[in-house]
Amino acid sequence: MTAPQQHGLGLLVDQLQRGELTEESLRRGVADIVGWNGQGVQDLLYLQAASSTPAAQVVGMMWVEGGQVKELPPDPDDWPYQTVLAAISDRWSVISFPEMSLLTMSDKEFHGLGFQFILERRS
Amino acid sequence: MADKTRDCEPTLTDSDVLDFCRNGYLLLEGVVDEDVNRRTLEFVADDTYYEPTSILDEDWFMEGVVMNSEAAGAVRCLLGAGFHLPVLMSNHRVTGPYAGTGGWHVDGNYVFSPEVNYLQVFYYPQDTPVESGPTQVLPGSHLIRNKARFMGHLNGIRGAVPTTSPAGSIFITTYQIWHRRGPQSDSRLRNMLKYVYWRTAPPRRDWIVEADFDFATANYGGPSAAFVEQFRGDAKCAEMFLWLCGRHEDYQNLGGQSWPLPAHRNDVPYGLPEGLPRTLSAPTG
Repeated sequence: MTAPQQHGLGLLVDQLQRGELTEESLRRGVADIVGWNGQGVQDLLYLQAASSTPAAQVVGMMWVEGGQVKELPPDPDDWPYQTVLAAISDRWSVISFPEMSLLTMSDKEFHGLGFQFILERRS
Repeated sequence: MADKTRDCEPTLTDSDVLDFCRNGYLLLEGVVDEDVNRRTLEFVADDTYYEPTSILDEDWFMEGVVMNSEAAGAVRCLLGAGFHLPVLMSNHRVTGPYAGTGGWHVDGNYVFSPEVNYLQVFYYPQDTPVESGPTQVLPGSHLIRNKARFMGHLNGIRGAVPTTSPAGSIFITTYQIWHRRGPQSDSRLRNMLKYVYWRTAPPRRDWIVEADFDFATANYGGPSAAFVEQFRGDAKCAEMFLWLCGRHEDYQNLGGQSWPLPAHRNDVPYGLPEGLPRTLSAPTG
């Protein structure tokens, strides 16, 4: 459930607790919550992993939340996710996998940082 | 045109040079005199242009910073005798606080190569604790190719280190090392002067030779191992070291468990280039 959906649900719960929830307001509130599905601001998580498996340790991270780059703890051990799998478990969806065509490049040269997964979720 | 080549006493040992090959940088903490730091700060307070190049015309700066015995001695080891002096001075002046970081990048006009034909050098004339946003470097990244415009999506990188240092510190880098400005939480003015030296002589092993330094068993592994295929960092580091020794034509990697991989062997590493010294007191090869 996205943040706007949680907010809409909270409004309905408030109305219920005050005894003000009507059939009409319930129908309108549920329609709004369903209508917000898939909407909200797209948050992005770039995770550079040590290998192509989502279980590999994350060696690099950029987190974009609410349209802004989020500051990360300076110590990588304090980053919110240590693997791609940990991020997936926290409602992030992978939208881009490591580019395997990079295998065609030289055995002796290395380019860029790790194996990049890009994930999204809505807030 | 004035002669801008210089020589001085070498200060680095075999092990120091190999460390430079592994890490891609060398930090010399507090090597510049306090008086020179003070005069530098006064100079850049007057000349706030981002390229205060005229500071290179000041004898006290040339002696105290550019030809500082420890810094120039290290440059002399990595670039050889008759190295060329800087002809341009940049100053990265930032007044905090500044929550963001600079983007990771390699400076323009880089060449990824085992050759060390020029060095980028940074000088902090003031104390630069982590709160003042010292430059962050990624040790070992000089061995990993990248392009500045392809690095915009990078932020936190495991293994990156801030060049936190006291006033008068100089750090010497391979030009192509990945780096960025760190976040600054204090409100101080941070100056970081940046300049480049060049090689004019062919590479050779004319630094301080260690009697017990063994090319066969030296550890060529370094921090790049976290980002590349197993042992490829060792191979690249060894190639760079041999280039600096003037032995690049002898470099070889015969695959598998051959030199320069680290291993517990029962004999000389297979593939050790012929003629490389084991130690000064041992036979070659």
